Formats: sequence, C-alpha cells, structure tokens
Amino acid sequence: MRKTKKLLSSFLIVAMLSSLMLSGCNSEGTDKIEVELVQYKPEAVAAFEKIEEGFNNTHDNIHLTIQSPNEAMTILKTRFIREDYPDIVGIGGDINYSNFLDADMFMDISDFEGVSDIKQAYMDIEDELEFIPTDGVFALPYVANASGILYNKDMFEENGWKIPQTWTEFTELCETIRASGVQPLYFGYKDTWTCLAPWNALAVGLSPSDTCAQVNAGKTTFSKEYRETAEKIKTLLDYCEPNPYAYGYNDACTAFARGQAAMYPIGSYAVPQIKSVNPDMNIDSFVFPANDDEKDNVLNSGVDLQFCVMKNSKNKEAVYEVLRYLYEDETIQIYLDVQNSIPCKNGDFKLPSMLDGMKSYIEEGRMADYQDHHYPSEMSVDAMIQTYLMDNSSDATDKFLKRFDDEWVRYNRDLIQKVQDYEKEAKK
Amino acid sequence: MKSGRRLSSKSRTYLGMLIPVVILFFAFNTLPLIIGAFYSFTNYRGYGSWDFVGLRNYFDLFTDSRVWNSYLFTFKYAIVGTILVNVISLLMGLALNSKIRFKSTLRGIYFVPNILGGLIVGYIFSFIFTYIIPAVGETFNIEWIQNSILADERFAWIGVLIVGVWQAVAMNTIIYISGLQTIPEDVYEASRIDGAGKFLTFRKITLPLLMPFISINLVLSTKNMLMVFDQIMSLTKGGPAQSTESISYLIYRNGMDGGQFGFQSANAVIFFILIVTISVIQMRMTGKKEEQL
Amino acid sequence: MRRLKRKQGTNWFLTFVLILGCLTVLFPLYMTVIIAFKNPSEMTNDVAGALAPPSNWSFDNFAEAMKVTNFWSALANSLFISGITIVLSVLIHSIAGYVIGRNMRRKKGYKLVYFYIVSGMFVPFAILMMPLVKETAQIGLANPIGVILLYLVFYMPMNVMLYSGYLKNIPLAMEEAAEIDGASTWKTYWTVIFPMMKPMHATVAVLTALGTWNDVMTPLVIMSGSENTTLPLAQLNFQTQFGTNYNLAFASYLLSLIPILIFYVVCQKQIIGGVANGAVKG
Repeated sequence: MRKTKKLLSSFLIVAMLSSLMLSGCNSEGTDKIEVELVQYKPEAVAAFEKIEEGFNNTHDNIHLTIQSPNEAMTILKTRFIREDYPDIVGIGGDINYSNFLDADMFMDISDFEGVSDIKQAYMDIEDELEFIPTDGVFALPYVANASGILYNKDMFEENGWKIPQTWTEFTELCETIRASGVQPLYFGYKDTWTCLAPWNALAVGLSPSDTCAQVNAGKTTFSKEYRETAEKIKTLLDYCEPNPYAYGYNDACTAFARGQAAMYPIGSYAVPQIKSVNPDMNIDSFVFPANDDEKDNVLNSGVDLQFCVMKNSKNKEAVYEVLRYLYEDETIQIYLDVQNSIPCKNGDFKLPSMLDGMKSYIEEGRMADYQDHHYPSEMSVDAMIQTYLMDNSSDATDKFLKRFDDEWVRYNRDLIQKVQDYEKEAKK
Repeated sequence: MKSGRRLSSKSRTYLGMLIPVVILFFAFNTLPLIIGAFYSFTNYRGYGSWDFVGLRNYFDLFTDSRVWNSYLFTFKYAIVGTILVNVISLLMGLALNSKIRFKSTLRGIYFVPNILGGLIVGYIFSFIFTYIIPAVGETFNIEWIQNSILADERFAWIGVLIVGVWQAVAMNTIIYISGLQTIPEDVYEASRIDGAGKFLTFRKITLPLLMPFISINLVLSTKNMLMVFDQIMSLTKGGPAQSTESISYLIYRNGMDGGQFGFQSANAVIFFILIVTISVIQMRMTGKKEEQL
Repeated sequence: MRRLKRKQGTNWFLTFVLILGCLTVLFPLYMTVIIAFKNPSEMTNDVAGALAPPSNWSFDNFAEAMKVTNFWSALANSLFISGITIVLSVLIHSIAGYVIGRNMRRKKGYKLVYFYIVSGMFVPFAILMMPLVKETAQIGLANPIGVILLYLVFYMPMNVMLYSGYLKNIPLAMEEAAEIDGASTWKTYWTVIFPMMKPMHATVAVLTALGTWNDVMTPLVIMSGSENTTLPLAQLNFQTQFGTNYNLAFASYLLSLIPILIFYVVCQKQIIGGVANGAVKG
C-alpha cells in the first residue's frame, strides 16, 4: 500500500511540475511587437521558415512567428473557439473563407497599398466568395493553382498527338489514343474529392462563375446551369480505366506516373505526388476544352493561399509591415521555388514548366474559380457526383440535377434567406 | 449499535472514494454533453454567431435521407460485426489460453492489428481489395472477386466489416483471456474427474463463469461497431455512392469539418440515446443470464 | 499446497492452426515493412512489384522519418501522456470500479452511478469536442495535463465496467476476513483487493494504452498550436492535402509501434498467472 501511495504522489508531483514548466515557457521578455501568422499549407513549411527568418533578420522592432501546423483548419477552428486569435491567417480561397468572413472575423485591409498590385482576376474571385457583397478587401491572394488536364509530354510527342482546343477535338483525341492501345484517361474516383477536378474544370467553361450566387438569389437553377457539365463528365467515363471507383487519388497518380495513361484530369497540385513516383517525368498541362468554340474555354484557377488579417489583431501597422514583406517579389519567389504555384501578384515571375500549356490563359486573365469553392462541404457534392457517375439508369442525369437543386436548398437554407433578405433591402 | 456505526463509516469511505471520480466525470463528460445538446437547438457552425432554431434540427433529422441511410448502414454493420467479433475472439481467447507452443509470440502477433494506424490499414487493405484479390480472381477465374469489393456499392460494407473485425478481435480477445484467468484450475479438474467431455466442460463450466466478460465484451463491441469511424475514414470515406457513411462519420465530417455543428449535435443526441437504450437492454439480458448461475 | 501439473501435452494441432492464422496479420505486416524500406520511386500498382522486397534494405527512411517527426521529443511527449494516463487509470478507475461493483447489487444509488458512468462511453466525441476545447482553455488546461485528464474521463466507462465485472469473480470472503481483523475499508482495498486485480490491471493498462497511444484527435484539438506534439500528431507531417509520403509514414508508424508492442508483451505476463489461484481456498 505504501508503495502505491508513493507512486501516486510522485506522479502527481511530476504532473504538477510539468504543468508549471509548460506555463513558464511563454514568458519571453522582449519589447518587440509580436506578430503571429498561421498558414494552412504544411507542405510549404520550408519556404515559410526562410521567409520568417528573412523578416526577423531585417526587422528590429517586430518579431514574426509563422506556424505551419498539420490539420491547420481544425487547429484554426479550435483556436477561434478558444478566442486565441493569431494576427494573420494564410488559408485557401474557398468556402471556409466565406464562412469566416460571414462570421465577421476579418479586418478590412483596403487601405493596404499592396492591394493594387494583385491581378484583378484574383481579386474578382475573392469578391465572388463573399456570400453577401461586402465593401472592403478582406483577403489578399498570394498564390493560385490551376486545374485542367495533365498530360504525358513525351508520350504526346512520340505519337504526334496534338493538344485539343475544343470538346470535339478532345473526344477525337481520346479515340485516337485508345486506338493506339494506350489508356487515354485515368481517374481516382475512389477518393470522392477527385470527382470534383474534372467537374470544376468543365463547369467553369460551361456555366457562369457566379452560378451559386445566382441560384441563392433565386434567379436560376442548377438543373439549367449544370446539365451540360453533368453530361460531359459522364462521357469521360468512356475513355478511362474500367471501374475507376476502385482506384484512389494515389493510385491514379502512380498509374499516370508509370505511363499507364496519357492524360490525367487533375490540378497542378498533383504534380509533386506524381513526380515522387517518377521524378524524371515530363508533365505539361492544358486547359480543359469544355466547349466547341475555343473562345469560350476558361481556365480553372483558384486562390490556393491568401492572407487575411484577423479583426482582433492589435498591431495593424506591424501586420502591414509583415504583409509588405510577404508580397515583395523576392519573397514570393522563395515560395515559388518550393511550390509549383501561380503568383497572384502582377510581375515577372517564372512559372513552373508544367503550366506552360495554360500560360496564355493566365496572362490574359481568362480564368474562373473552382465551382466547389462555393459548395458547403457538408453537402458532399463530391460524393453526389460519384453516386451519379455510378448510376447507369437512363434518367441518371435528371435525378442527379434534381437532387442537386433539392439538397442545395436544404444545406443553404439560412444563407439563401440571408441573401434574399439582402436583395430585398437593396431593392428598397 | 457498534456494527451500525461501522457500516456507516464504511459507507463514508466508499462515498469518499467515489464522489471525486464522479465530479471529474461530470465536468469533462456530462457538462460538455449538455453544452453540445444545447447547440442542437441552434444553427451554430462551430464559430461565429448563431440563432435559435427550436426543434428544426430534430425535424430535419427525420426527413434527411442521408441520415436514414447512415443509420441503416451502421446497424447492419454493427449487428453482423458484433456477432463475428465475439465468436472469433472467444475462440481466439480459448485457443490462446490453451496448451499451445509459442504462446507469447502468438499473442503478440494477434495483437498487432489493433495498433496499426489508420493510414497503414487504409493503404494496405485498399491495395489488397483493389489489386491483389482481383488478381487472384483473374488467375483462378473466379468471377465474383475480380472487381474490388470497395468499389461496389452493394458489398463495400463487407470490405469495411472485414477490416473492422480484423482490428477489433485483438481487443476483445484480451478481455476474454483475462476472464479465462479468473476460472480456477481446480474447477476444470473437478469436471474432468467427473468425466465431462471438452464441450460439456465448456458449456457447463467455462461459459457460465465467463458470463460477466461476455457481457462486457458484447457491450464494448456493440459500442465500437456502432461508432465505426476509423475504418470508414481510411478505407472508403463514405463511398462508393455514399453507401458506407456511418453515423459517426456523418457527425464528425459534417459537424466538425462542415458547418453543421448544430444539426449534427442533434444527430449525436439521438444516436446517444439510442445506443444507451440498446446497451441497457443488452446488459439486462446478459445480467439475467449471470444471475441464473 | 501445490496442485499437480496437468499431464496434458502441447496441443500441436491448435498451435499449427494458430500459426496459420497468423498469416492474416503477417501478410499486411510484411507489406508495411517493405513499403517502409522502399523509395517513393519504387511504388507501383503492379501486384508483383508491390510485393517484391525493396531494392536495398537501407534505414534511410527511418532516419528521415525520425528527423521529420522530431522523434525523440515526440516520443517523450507520447510516453509522458500515455504513461501517466495508464498509471492514473489503474489507480483511480480500479477504486471506482471496486466501490461500484461491491455496492451496486444491494444499493440502487450505486447502480445508478454505474449506469451513469458507463453510458458516458456512448457519447460521440464530435459533440464533446468543441465544448471541451472551450472548457479546457478557460481553466488553463490546454496542455498535456488537460489531455491526460480527458483520457481519464474517456476511458473511465470502459475501465469501470471491466473492474466491476472482474470483481464479480473475486469472493467477498477475502475482504470480510480482513475486516474482521480490524482493517479499514481503505486499507483492505489496497492490501487485499488491489493486488488481486492484477490481471485486470494489466488488461486495463493495455486497453488504455491502445486508445491513447494512437489518438490524434484529442491532443490535436486540445493542445493545438503548442509545441508539445505527440507521435501521432507529428506523423500527420507525412500527409498533406494533395500528397502522402507512404514510405516515410510507414517507417514512422513502425517505429511508434514498437514501444506499445513491448508494453503489451510485458502486460501479457501479468495477465497470465490468474487471480483465483489459491484465493478461493483462503
């Protein structure tokens, strides 16, 4: 018994001591202004460590801490619950941003001078992410990614295949490739989110970029806007491996890297995973030719990383200083050297080679955001698309589109109410 | 008089031992549960502002086909899973407790499935189901295994179940083994002297004495199977065609990752009440069996 | 009063069947091990290629994985959290299980407490998570101590159930004898009952360790943003949104599997040996 008691008390002491130690760690006696930045891309940690070091070496009065945690969105949400806000967050331009903004968490930074250096196309994308049009600037796009079709450049050159400009050319190309005994496309539909890659790439060309907002305002329906997208994504199944629902994202990346397919409809973000399997692979990309008129095609590109200032941040000046540093050309280049991305700032940056096929679209600003950045994640549109693709009945498309409309109302009830109230107000 | 006072001091000791534990439990289990249940009457997203919506979330639950499907899937999975896990782990417990060679090594090996992380389990079993089994099917011309079981919306749940059972057996086996240890050797000897056969000994001696542990294992495995989450996350993510969305998966994915915290809290409350009811019935039933001894 | 050893030999048939059954574990384990040794460029979808051993058995992946996860520090944190949780679980939950188990048959109140605690096992974690994040932060427990406290609560239902179930097979006569000798209830518990529950302590320790060692969610949400990462948290490094390094990840998982496997084997020795041997005769 004495032994147990001893054990118990010694453990309690250890526990207490360590909690003291933990709380003691935070007291650092400096008079510098602390700025904390949390960004959600742990894969870019190397770049951000460099940036952090560079900033702190050149600034005596401000100390910048950049966190690149895993599962950053969960961590951010739990920190918000705790009301433990960082000064700046680096997040994606997606529905999470819309929700945070709607919850009134970000500061208006329209007086930051760097805003005017950002490409207008990306600023427009940011505007469309606002549920309700809000005056002011709340997000500063940093880098973007693009989605379309990745192709095996060597394979294309050997066979003399040409980059298709229209939907008809694309299906013809698929036929040609298949006739030569190669699998034209490969999908990893077991991971439902990959269903969204071709979906988005098709939808940007076939429906207006503000489709979701229009639906919320009661001006149109998805049955109308998405019919062509739905039909075309189903056509793609004719050219992919049998039973694509058995293979995941990773399988598809590996298969493409091993030359088992000529093309892979996915975003530029997949390139590192593909190259990890086959480092010497020659990958290029082209814009998804969704239309029969090349002029109607649009590149699917969205903000991969943007910075927002938290409303609660007390040191606006210091935060702006950090932003200024982040948006210097040299700093952006540090990031681009590590990650294959498209910078959102105007300027002369070197684009990664696998985006060569998309270059002209990027330069002309002919792009539109991923449609799924407007879908509430709990609606699981990706799973709905997978269900639709697996449905072989003749009225599958109608059922799917009707379901899309019905569920949209169900999952966005409060938002639709809000939007329609706003519209009414605006009319008055 | 004297004995009465002694009893009350004994009771006081008991209470002194128990009350701090109950307080701790209340603070970190019941209190947050009450707060969570409170949010089930709101449209809270998990951050930002919220409004009261009355019973709307509860009404929505009953009309949401996705929620219904998740209950169907989960119960189908749990019933089959609980039976399989308990039969297999009881057999394993008996086998690993008998006179065999390499006992420690074997016990160690059979424990491994339970400690493999989700990433490993997901990758390895996806590979087995997607590539190895179909390859075997092609080599030996067995048609029904030539397609990945995880890609078929009718059978994907069986794929998840195989992995779920494979992982769960280890834990229940441990409990059965420790239960078997409480049965004194001389009981077996007495039975042997009486000339009882192996099966009769099992039925008349082992099984009744093991009843408390069967009861515990039933409750634990029912609970674990009803709350299936890890296997779904690592194997199917609810697919194909939303056929393997479990209740826990929906609650987590839409409540935490998505913005449905209020709605999924309502789901969690209903689910909680349902499992508690099931477990109480289970305990009553096995409890009666125990008392019959 | 030694009992005679049973005169039954090894059951070779059963041994053989069990060894054969091991294949269901060893095959996936084999795949895990070879992937942990391979390079990313050796990964393939081809069955023969995937099952082939790596081109060379170098420990580079393991070294790299240890570097990426800051292995020793993460291991120390994991050991600290799991270790203290296990010790406190055995001490506290066994008391609760004992008090409840001994009284629930006669007194309604205790039975109620039993069902109250056991029912806590069925609360989906997702509903508790957000309120807990807030609660722990408010009382300054957004740290490893908070995680330990939460684990103590999370595993209480199962452990109380196990302990009070086990108690049913420990005869009351034991305590009564001690009490007649004048020992207090508290003392009787520690000197008589606690040692007798040794096999159950081992079981509880193993099951609690299992739950805490691989847990990602609790430390992630409770200690988010702190530097005290545990092994499973550090292992999230291998998975990003658009890519997973399976080779490093598997190497890292294998490394973190070793401590708990050793712990299990040690505890197994405690489970074997049985409680009731000699006890009933008392």
